[in-house]
Amino acid sequence: MIYALMSFAMLMGSMNYNNNLSFLLTFLLIALGFVAMHQCQRNLVGLDVSFAGVEPVFAGQSSQFRIVVTNHSKSPRNRIRLYVDTTLSDIHDLEPGESQVFVIALATDKRGWVKLKRFGIRTLFPFELFRSWAWLHMDIRGLVYPKPLDDAPPPPASQMALGHRQHDARGEEDFAGLRRFVVGDSPRNVAWKAYARSGQLLSKQFSGADTSSQWFDFSEFDNVGVEERLSTLARWIIDADRTNEDYGLKMPSDDIAPAHGEAHRHRCLEALALYGLEHE
Amino acid sequence: MSRIKRHGTDGSLLSSLPWTLASLALALLPHVIYLPVWISAAFLACGLWRYTIEKRRAALPSTWIRAALALACFLGVLFEYQTISGVGPGSALLAIMASLKLLETRKRRDQFVLLFIAIFLVMSALLREQYLWSLPYLVVAMIFIMTAWLRMSAAASESIRRSFATGGRLLLYAAPIAIVMWVFFPRISSPFWAVPIDTSSGVSGLSSTMSPGDISSLSLSNEVAFRVRFDSQIPAARDLYWRGLVLHQFNGRSWKGSEPSMGRRAAQQIEVRGEPVRYRITMEATRQHWVYALDIPYQWDLHKTRMSAQQVLARDFPIDQRIAYQVESYTDYRAEADMNDFVRDRYLALPDSSNRRTAELARQMRRDAGSDGAYINALLALFHDEDFYYTLQPPPLGRNPVDNFLFDTRRGFCEHYASAFTVMMRSAGIPARIVLGYQGGELNPLGNYMIVRQSDAHAWAEVWFSGRGWVRVDPTAAVAPERIELGIAESMFDGIGLEWGLSAPSKFLHQMQLRWDAMNAQWNDWVLGYGPEKQNAFMALLGMDNPSWRKMLLTLITLVIGMILLISGILALRYRPPPPDRATILYRRFVAKTGHQLSIGESPAAFAMRASSGSRLSADTILDITNSYQEARYGGVDALALQRLETQVAAIP
Repeated sequence: MIYALMSFAMLMGSMNYNNNLSFLLTFLLIALGFVAMHQCQRNLVGLDVSFAGVEPVFAGQSSQFRIVVTNHSKSPRNRIRLYVDTTLSDIHDLEPGESQVFVIALATDKRGWVKLKRFGIRTLFPFELFRSWAWLHMDIRGLVYPKPLDDAPPPPASQMALGHRQHDARGEEDFAGLRRFVVGDSPRNVAWKAYARSGQLLSKQFSGADTSSQWFDFSEFDNVGVEERLSTLARWIIDADRTNEDYGLKMPSDDIAPAHGEAHRHRCLEALALYGLEHE
Repeated sequence: MSRIKRHGTDGSLLSSLPWTLASLALALLPHVIYLPVWISAAFLACGLWRYTIEKRRAALPSTWIRAALALACFLGVLFEYQTISGVGPGSALLAIMASLKLLETRKRRDQFVLLFIAIFLVMSALLREQYLWSLPYLVVAMIFIMTAWLRMSAAASESIRRSFATGGRLLLYAAPIAIVMWVFFPRISSPFWAVPIDTSSGVSGLSSTMSPGDISSLSLSNEVAFRVRFDSQIPAARDLYWRGLVLHQFNGRSWKGSEPSMGRRAAQQIEVRGEPVRYRITMEATRQHWVYALDIPYQWDLHKTRMSAQQVLARDFPIDQRIAYQVESYTDYRAEADMNDFVRDRYLALPDSSNRRTAELARQMRRDAGSDGAYINALLALFHDEDFYYTLQPPPLGRNPVDNFLFDTRRGFCEHYASAFTVMMRSAGIPARIVLGYQGGELNPLGNYMIVRQSDAHAWAEVWFSGRGWVRVDPTAAVAPERIELGIAESMFDGIGLEWGLSAPSKFLHQMQLRWDAMNAQWNDWVLGYGPEKQNAFMALLGMDNPSWRKMLLTLITLVIGMILLISGILALRYRPPPPDRATILYRRFVAKTGHQLSIGESPAAFAMRASSGSRLSADTILDITNSYQEARYGGVDALALQRLETQVAAIP
């Protein structure tokens, strides 16, 4: 805008003095404006955008959507940034053939899915005179676990299982099989040999003995609201996970057999996060 | 005591600030010789100060210091120029603004303002003077400004080479568009409002008064007054009298002309005979109204220019800029054959009290001669035969300069002879006046045009005869015929110039000067002289006769849009996305077989999830193929994955 005003003022000046060189300067600036507009638009054309995943977070943390932008063209693309509403990613330059991971961090306040239906990609390159942008509709979502209750009561004793522990914290669990890798699984548990063979990412599943573990039961609360129950359960699961003890989760819809490990933790927290929301 | 507030910088400007400073310095460079020294010094000091602040991550000066500096500088400019309008004070203010803005530039984006100032400084430099080097100056300054601009918004780590290349590339794309706009943008010939370009620098040339010594001081100036390109035969050197202005009031010492009174009368009083001389003059700025033309101009195409009652061309406003015009002159003419007594008396008036000996001599010679014609010849013979000398360094003259000159010193330049001659005429009752202008000119063989320099400035006389009108008489020709026959430039190399007090430059140097002048002449003709007339001529060449400005703007817009499309076309060809690889082709084949369609932006994993329900293919097959595809496409150079994908897709019925 200021640029246009300045160009106009210079045009007037050139006309007044009928000065051919300042005409040239003025037209050069106007032409640069056109070229900048055009370059700005070209700067986005042909970029390949794909979703590279999002880690589950607890409510209140920000959910970091990772989006990979790849420049397949032969020209560098400069000053690219992703955004949704007022949330901005970092700015990256993309050399020909280069990929960059952009992170859009969305604030979360409640459990369930945090959705990124669409986001924008934009650039101000070259002169910050123009902004070109495009909306991408990907309909991607990230999982939000319930916010763990800070002052949760300890798990009731009645829920402590009887019997003795068969495994110590460091012992090798029994290998229970493979399942498809899900976000949240520990890389330690990825079956790399199987991956090399089949190209599929699989996670090793381990199981402990049921008898030695602790059960957290959704239904065994008195006069406590659903969200608070979920938050309390989340706290117990986190605490139990830290001690590396086996634990199981009893939900009205489903029971998760006692186990431990990152994948197990994720399964339990996911069940809490999505409780009552499954239809979505 | 002023406290310094904590406004530390983080050093993030280090990548772009030097370029912004360089752009400003470059933009300021042509102004330095015109600006007061303290302004350039202030800019330099502020630039260094700001750079040191950034380098040391120190604090910027406080608001109070900046405000005090701003006030002091503004008052300084006001004191220096007494005004703030015009190019001179304007560029001084811009320089001050740049210096002070530097001290409050905190963020990278603040440099926008600085770069705008740099652009305005470049523009005002161009308004002030447009030499041949002004174009490269413009281009280099723009490259610097572009680079600074790019670095302002680029990552701090970006290499200078890359910013430079990007800036240059953008300028390269913009140049043809700018040139098209330049060619087609309709020019108008008169200004909207008159603002003095710059009054602080002098322009040499003739002025509307003449005292002894005025012209001889010009004679040493090599500056170009105007250049002439002849369309017809070039007249002989002795006919090359470039008429400027007429002086008719004499106070005993100096001659004065009146302001030109505009009238059509004068032009109608001219009768011409013979073949016209057609030529085009490119005249340098004079800040005077006079428009030079060969004696005597009959037709001319310069806007707002009329012939005054004294048969000289004058423009309505001072000539502040180089102008070009076409003229048709006749060397054989009869001007103002009738004159009423009132006007006639003006051309006879002499102050009573001075130069009495001259008056006496005139009356006596007229009596002895018998006729006006014989009297003029006798006087010219006197100049020729007696010991009169033509010299650039005449001795000073006393209270009665004409008496002094005729009877004592007898050494003088053209103005002495013209003045003495005219006084002698008037004393004898013959109406006479002085014409100031240029005589001769040097033909530049390299450009086939004539250069008329300040050193060609000349004064001659005109006498009036009833029925014959004004007749040119050049007393200098009687004293130094070489001055008229050869011209100043030629005389200089002829050796005769040495007698007059002219020293000749070396032949080689002169040749170089001519070459340089030829380039300048071309530049003036084609680039600076591109005005309404040239534009119309060019449009006619393109098949548009006298197009309206509407039509031209329309052409301009069409061409610019066309060029932008052309550039994007070229870029689109250059940036053609790579053809889909084998894996993608196979994957698309697979997608088609699932019976689903891949939606835009959908990742293969998301598609697999969606397609696995309600497809005729099993979920496992879909997942396997998706895995193979991802492996083949993104997993690196795994030939096996591609083979696997090939067989898997082929296996689908």
